[in-house]
Amino acid sequence: MRFFLIPLAAAAIPLVANPYTQFMVNLMLVYILVAVGFNLVLGNLGQLAFANTALFGIGAYTGAMLMAHAGWPFWLVIVPAGVAGAAAGFLASVTALRGIRVYYLAIVTLAFGELLRWSYIHGERATGGTDGLAVPRADFFGLALDSETARFYVFLVIVTVLVKALHNLLRSKIGRAIVAIRDNELATASLAIPTGRYIVLAFVLSGFVVGIAGSLFAVLIGRVIPESFGLIELILHFAMVLVGGLGSLFGGVLGAVALTALPEFFRGFPGMYEMFFGGLLIVFLLVQPRGLAALAARWFPALRERYYRER
Amino acid sequence: MLELHDVSVSFAGLQALRNVSLSARGGEVRALIGPNGAGKTTLFNAITGYVPLSAGRIALDGKAIDGLSPHQIAARGVRRTFQNGGLFPELTALENVLAGLHSRIEASFTGILFGSRSARAAERAALARARELLKSLGVAHLADQPVKSMSGGQQRTIEIVRAVAAEPPLLLLDEPAVGLAPPLRAQLVELIRRLAGEMGIAVLLIEHAVDLVMAAADAVAVFNGGVKIAEGPPAAMRADPVVLEAYLGHG
Amino acid sequence: MFALQLALSGLAQGAIYALVALSMCVVNRATTVVNFGHGDLVMAGAFVVYLFVVLAGLPFVASAILAVALLFILGVLIELGLIERIKAGPHIGFALMCIAFGYVLRGIARAVWGREVLPMPTVFNLPPVFLGELVITADALVIFAAVGVLLIAFFLLFYRSSAGRVMQALCQSERGAALVGINVRAFHGVMWGVGAALGAVGGVLVAPITLLHPGLGASFLIKGFAAMTLGGFGSFGGAVVGGLVLGVAEQLVGGYVSTKLIDITAYLVIILVLALRPNGLFGRAIAEKV
Repeated sequence: MRFFLIPLAAAAIPLVANPYTQFMVNLMLVYILVAVGFNLVLGNLGQLAFANTALFGIGAYTGAMLMAHAGWPFWLVIVPAGVAGAAAGFLASVTALRGIRVYYLAIVTLAFGELLRWSYIHGERATGGTDGLAVPRADFFGLALDSETARFYVFLVIVTVLVKALHNLLRSKIGRAIVAIRDNELATASLAIPTGRYIVLAFVLSGFVVGIAGSLFAVLIGRVIPESFGLIELILHFAMVLVGGLGSLFGGVLGAVALTALPEFFRGFPGMYEMFFGGLLIVFLLVQPRGLAALAARWFPALRERYYRER
Repeated sequence: MLELHDVSVSFAGLQALRNVSLSARGGEVRALIGPNGAGKTTLFNAITGYVPLSAGRIALDGKAIDGLSPHQIAARGVRRTFQNGGLFPELTALENVLAGLHSRIEASFTGILFGSRSARAAERAALARARELLKSLGVAHLADQPVKSMSGGQQRTIEIVRAVAAEPPLLLLDEPAVGLAPPLRAQLVELIRRLAGEMGIAVLLIEHAVDLVMAAADAVAVFNGGVKIAEGPPAAMRADPVVLEAYLGHG
Repeated sequence: MFALQLALSGLAQGAIYALVALSMCVVNRATTVVNFGHGDLVMAGAFVVYLFVVLAGLPFVASAILAVALLFILGVLIELGLIERIKAGPHIGFALMCIAFGYVLRGIARAVWGREVLPMPTVFNLPPVFLGELVITADALVIFAAVGVLLIAFFLLFYRSSAGRVMQALCQSERGAALVGINVRAFHGVMWGVGAALGAVGGVLVAPITLLHPGLGASFLIKGFAAMTLGGFGSFGGAVVGGLVLGVAEQLVGGYVSTKLIDITAYLVIILVLALRPNGLFGRAIAEKV
C-alpha cells in the first residue's frame, strides 16, 4: 500500500503547474511507461533489444488509426494499442522459442523494429506515410481530454495501474524466472522453468506496456509520424533505463523523470541530442553503471529491488 | 528409477562417453568417481538433457527422457547442481531458493498481476518454506545476502538447498564438497544420507573426496576415459586393482 | 541481360557490404564483443573523407588514406579508453557502450553536416567499361579492385603469415596467449583499430556513390549484420559471401519486385535466416535448446 503514496502525492501537481510544465509532466508519465516496459527486457531479462521504439510506435499508430479512421473514443483504443504492442513484442522475440539468444536475438529485434518503421512510412492512407496522422480529440468516457490537466489525471491512473501490475509481477515466480534467465539460463532450465517461453513473455509484457504508452503519446502530441519512432528516439529509451537503473522498476521511473525534459534543450542544435544522450550513457557506464536507483538504494535500503513480497 | 542403457556421447569426433550403463534407485546414494576428464559431468549433462546422446537410451521411471530438453527433464523430477556453480549471482540466497520452488508455486498469471489473495498466499507459503529450508541447513543468516558476495562453500550449500527445495525424486550433485571446510563436509554427508534415507531421493554424486564417498555412498561407479570400469560397494572399490590402476597408473 | 546488369551493380554494393561485414567479424572474433556502433564507424569514414575532399580540397586518394588512418586510431582509442574500462561489468554494458559512442559519432556528423543529405562530387573521371551489353561504372571498378585487393591481403595475412597465426591463436584462447606473454590488451586495441579501418575503407568507397547523411551508420550496421547472419556468424569467408549475396539480392528484388523493397531486403534476410536456418551458410550452431 505504500506504493500508492507517490501517485497520490503526484495528484497535487496540477495545482501548482502551468500548462507547459503540466505538458512536461504528462510526457514524463508516458516515458515512465516506456522506461519500465523497456527495463523489463533490457534490465530484468538482460536481453539487448532494439525494438522498443517500434513497440512504442505501433501502440501510437494503432491508437491514432482507430481514433482517426474508425472514430473510436480514446478509452477504447488503449487496450488495443497495448495488444498491438504485445503482438509486436511476440513477433520480435518469437525466434527465442527456437533457441535464438543474446546478440542474434538483439539483431532480430533491430531488423523487426526497422521493418515496422518502414511499414509506417509506406503505409500510405492507413498511416499517412511520412506526414503521419493527426490524432482527433481524445474522449475519455465523455470527458474531453483537451486540457493538460484532464490528460494528467487519466494518464496518472493508467500509469499507476500498469506500474503496480509490473511491481506485482516482478515480486512473483514470474519475475524471478525472468531474472534467473538473465543470471544463468542453463541453471534456470534445470529448475523446470521453460526459458524460451519466459523470454517471449517478457517481450510481450514489455510490448503491452510500451504500446499503451504509445497511445498516450499519440493523444499528448496530437500527431504520429514515423520519425518519432526510429533509431534516434531509441537512444533516449536506452539512456532512461541505464541512467535510472537496469533491472530496477523504481529506476525506470527515475530515469524517465530525470531525462524527459532534456530533449527540449537540444531542439535548435542538430546533433546535440545524439551527442548528449550517447555521452550520458558512456559516462554512466563508466562511473555509475547501476544507475540512480542504486545510489538511492544505498541511502534507502528499502528501495532495493526485491523479487518476493514480504507481506 | 533411472536407467541408462549403453549411453554414448561424442563432441566433434571426441568420444566423451562410451557404452555407459547405470542405474539409480530411490533411497540410494551412488557416487561417480574417476580422474578429471573421465566423463562424469558429461554423464550428468546427458541425463539432464544438456548434451545429446549419440547412442543409447535413458529412462526415468520406465519412460524415455533422452532427447527431451533440460526443462522438460527437470519437470519430471530431476534436479542438479553444477560443477562451476549454477546460482543466480545477482539474487539473494532466499530468492535463489524461491526460484527452486518455481514449479511448486500455484499462482495464475492474472492472479499474480492483480495481486489476488490466492496468488499471494501461494507466494507466502513458498517464502515460508524457503526460509525453513535455509534454516534447516544452518544458513538462515545468509537469506538476504546476494549470492555473489558469498564464499564458495556457502554458495555450494545454497545451491544444494535450491536443488532439493522441490523435493525431486532424482538429485544429481556435481562435486558439492569443493571448498567446504571439514565440519561442513560432515554436515554435507549427513544431509546427503538424510535426503536418501528419510526422503527416499535417488542421489547421484560426483565427488573426488574419498572420505566423503566412503561415508555417504551406498554404491560407487568408477569412470575412466569415458567408460565405466568398475562398480560396487565403496569398500570393495577402494581395494579394487582396476580402480587403483586408473587413479595411480598414469604416473 | 537486365538481371546480369542488376547483379553486377549488386556485386559492387555487395563488395562494400562484404567489407563492412568482415570488419565487424574481425572485431567480434578477436574480442568477442559485437560492436553495435560499427555502422557509425563506417559512416565516420565516409564523413571524414567528405570533409577532406570537399572542405579541405585534398585529392580523393590522400583523403581516403587519412580517413582510414584516423579511424584506425579512433578504433584503438575507443577500445582502450572505453571498452577495456568496463571489462568487468555485464555483457550488456559493452553493447550499450558501443551503441552509445555510435550515437555520439552520429551526433557529431549531424552537427557539422546539418539536416542535409550531401552528395559527393564525382571522384573517378574514368570512362565506364563495356562488356558486351553490360556497363561497369568507374566507381564499381574501383570498388571491385580495392575490395578485392584488401580481401586477398587480409586472408593471406590472417591465414598464411606468422602474425596471422598469432592472431588466430589469440582468437581461440586469450588466456593461453596471455600465459605465453602476448599483450592481450594491445591485441584488442589493434584489432579494434583494424576493424575500424576496414570499415572506414567501406565508408570511403561508398562515399562517391551514395548520398551521405548521418543516419547512414544504421543502414550499414543492419547490412553488415545481414551479411554476417547469411554467411554464418564468426566466419570470415561467410561474411564476405553473405555481403556479396545480399548486394545482388537487393538489386534483384529492387529490379523485379519494387524499389521500395530494397531498403528492407536486409531486414527480411535477417529475420528469415534466423528463423529458418540460424547457422547461415557457413556458421557454427548458434541456437541453444534449453
